[in-house]
Amino acid sequence: SPAQPATMNPARHWQKVLYERQPFPDNYVDQRFLEELRKNIHARQYQYWAVVFESGAVVQQLCSVCVFIVTWWYMDDGLLSVQWLFGAGLVSSLIGYILFDAIDSGAGRKENRRTRWADLKSTLVFVAFTYGFSPVLKTLTESISTDTIYAMSVFMLLGHLIFFDYGANAAIVSSTLSLNMAIFASVCLASRLPRSLHAFVMVTFAIQIFALWPMLQKKLKAQTPRCYIIVTVVFALSALTGLLTISSVGAVLFTLLLVSISCLCPYYLIRLQLFKDNIHGPWDEAEIKEDLSRFLM
Amino acid sequence: MVVLKVFFPSCCSSAESGLLVGHWIPEQNSAVILAVFHFPFIPVQVKQYLSEVRQVTQVNVSVLGTWSNCKKKEESLSEFLEDLGTIFSHEPWIQLCKETDSKFWSCSVIQKHPSTPKEDEIILVYYDQRKVMLSHLHPPGNLTNSTDHKAEDASKLAVIFDTVAKSKVLFMKDRYDYGPIKLTHWQSEGVEASIIVELMKQASIPVCMLLTFLLSFVSSVCKSRVLKFWPLSFIWSKLSTCEQLGHRLEHLQVISSNRKAQNQPQLMRKANIFVSLLADVALGILLMSWLYRKNRIGHLADTLIPVADHVAKELQGLLQWLMGVPAGLKMNRALDQVLGRFFLYHIHLWISYIHLMSPFIEMILWYVGLSACLGLTVALSILSDIIALLTFHIYCFYVYGARLYCLKIYGLSSLWRLFRGKKWNVLRQRVDSCSYDLDQLFIGTLLFTILLFLLPTTALYYLVFTLLRLLVVVVQGLIHLLVDLIDSLPLYSILLRLCRSYRLAAGVKFRVLEQRTGKPLRLLMQINPLSYGRVVQTYRLPTYSCYPKDSWGSLCKKLFLGELIYPWKHKGEKQD
Repeated sequence: SPAQPATMNPARHWQKVLYERQPFPDNYVDQRFLEELRKNIHARQYQYWAVVFESGAVVQQLCSVCVFIVTWWYMDDGLLSVQWLFGAGLVSSLIGYILFDAIDSGAGRKENRRTRWADLKSTLVFVAFTYGFSPVLKTLTESISTDTIYAMSVFMLLGHLIFFDYGANAAIVSSTLSLNMAIFASVCLASRLPRSLHAFVMVTFAIQIFALWPMLQKKLKAQTPRCYIIVTVVFALSALTGLLTISSVGAVLFTLLLVSISCLCPYYLIRLQLFKDNIHGPWDEAEIKEDLSRFLM
Repeated sequence: MVVLKVFFPSCCSSAESGLLVGHWIPEQNSAVILAVFHFPFIPVQVKQYLSEVRQVTQVNVSVLGTWSNCKKKEESLSEFLEDLGTIFSHEPWIQLCKETDSKFWSCSVIQKHPSTPKEDEIILVYYDQRKVMLSHLHPPGNLTNSTDHKAEDASKLAVIFDTVAKSKVLFMKDRYDYGPIKLTHWQSEGVEASIIVELMKQASIPVCMLLTFLLSFVSSVCKSRVLKFWPLSFIWSKLSTCEQLGHRLEHLQVISSNRKAQNQPQLMRKANIFVSLLADVALGILLMSWLYRKNRIGHLADTLIPVADHVAKELQGLLQWLMGVPAGLKMNRALDQVLGRFFLYHIHLWISYIHLMSPFIEMILWYVGLSACLGLTVALSILSDIIALLTFHIYCFYVYGARLYCLKIYGLSSLWRLFRGKKWNVLRQRVDSCSYDLDQLFIGTLLFTILLFLLPTTALYYLVFTLLRLLVVVVQGLIHLLVDLIDSLPLYSILLRLCRSYRLAAGVKFRVLEQRTGKPLRLLMQINPLSYGRVVQTYRLPTYSCYPKDSWGSLCKKLFLGELIYPWKHKGEKQD
């Protein structure tokens, strides 16, 4: 009978299967149980400067938000003229557009099969819609208090920073949501500006800095890392300078934040790897490693 | 132990001695006595008479035993009675004997064949023949829930009621009708009144024929093609007066049809429709007589215009308030001004329309008031329609507000999905993630922001006009409820229950008259009348409009999503 103990048949070895009847209780394991124990199989040895390089994406995004806020501040105070900002935006966009194709000599464009006509169409749609809606945007939040608008913008920009795609493979990352939150914040802030043309230029600038600039950055990072480092440092310095003209305390705090993100955090990450203590074994849940997308089609 | 039950008509308890005639129900082991044949008689004639009765009534009526009602017990008579058993052979042979000096009756049962088991006990049940014959037994409504035992009891009782009701022919024989056979049973006493009833019956045939002809003419006019074109048919379907008139037309057709009602429910339905129609018309004429006295129509018309004006003025005030800073809410000034001016222009149009109409209002009311002679329900329906017409501007505002709000809600919900990088997959009926282009995202978010900030303004306008609309809907709904009540109340059944409670029986109850060992148990069977609730439930007339099919939850959901709500719901829609 199956309930007989193992002593009756010592020659029979225990197998780790459930589909055969064996003379052992269900929770029985033998001596080889811990042979398959493995430790820290996912632990990686990081290089300090490589981590610092990767943290450039976070620094860039923080600086983008900073530059946007500084620009808005200037616009709100009337220190920056609409024409100047629009002209600067236009010129930098054109340079960026040429660079975008020049870096990989048109390889990415061929891969995406995106024509210049489609680019032009998108640009026209942006400009036309923003210009058409700018009078509406101007009166949109008239009756809502300025503090509410500020609070909403801060939340949205924080959300933009949290959900941004820095290159990590995590569930929380959603570049769509991140971009939408940035646009929402820019629309909110633009509605506080004195005239509808201001609002139009502000929203255009937001598109440039939140949607187009990260695309160029990504390409720079992949193709010419050396150039990317230089651009990052220059961008960070310009953002700091801009912030310094508004508030020195803010500039100091922002510098500390950037330094801690680009220098302290990588060091801390590498130190913490020593304390990693993961165990893996046959008791782990089954994991599907293969890409199943070809079966789902 | 087998119990033998004898159902004995109480009107025969003072009859002279004779033969017991009735129906034997072997399954229940009981005898239903229907009449007593008096001495003297010729057995052949009795048999012949009974066979005739059997043919007419389809009830197996036979001689069940003998009945003796004498001062003293006579040996010779009892022997004679036993001998009769051999002439009219019946199994078992019941011998009932009433002694005047004693309260108790004696009853003996003679079994010819000893093989059948001997009855140990006999129960005498008195019943009122007239009431049992006229009453209609309603089996218990919740048969599915009750035990089988209860249902079986009900069906047993129904057999007895049925037997008595079918033997109506037997009771037609008059007491003063000196034929070869003399009978005692229940007899009608209202012969004189029945002459009027007969006359009315005769007169009703041509009246019905005339009515049918007229009705077929009217309905053919109503069904003609000219009235079926799109705008007209739409108007007919929305006016409750037309619905009510059509409903009444159907009722009249039912009443005037020369087909005989086949069974009791159909008969009751006809009678109910007739009485409710009569009551409706009587109430309508009462209303008319009140309206047309002392120039009340003129007063009504004089007050109606100022009231409509006043409502428009109030609405104007409300709109002015909404265009300011209502309740300190943060509205979008520009949109608020646009909406407010749009609605103000509508009110202006409405006021000029009312003033254009004002000279004719009295005349219109005078002619409309004449329709009350068609019945109170028709007058009420017209009132409901007039309310709908006079508050048409509120309805328009509501529709505009609801459409705008609905657009915003749907736009926001779909743009909110875009905002999160999702989309609604129609094929799989779920939300899927989706990668949008940059320009799609930009325009979507721009619109989302704009709609979100404009939503409070639209929502406030929608809320205010929905509340106004709900007020009108509630008033109209109450009027419809009243019309439905008059339409569906089974007045005839209720009157029957009030005056002749035995006619609608729910069951019976037994009262013990006498009980003593050695003598048969004597019970009195009384009819339990049907409760009023069940009368209404059973004989409720179907109405053309049914209550809104939405529950409160779905109504609230509709209100939230900005879908239009209507007070009218038709049966056709419900079947979809």
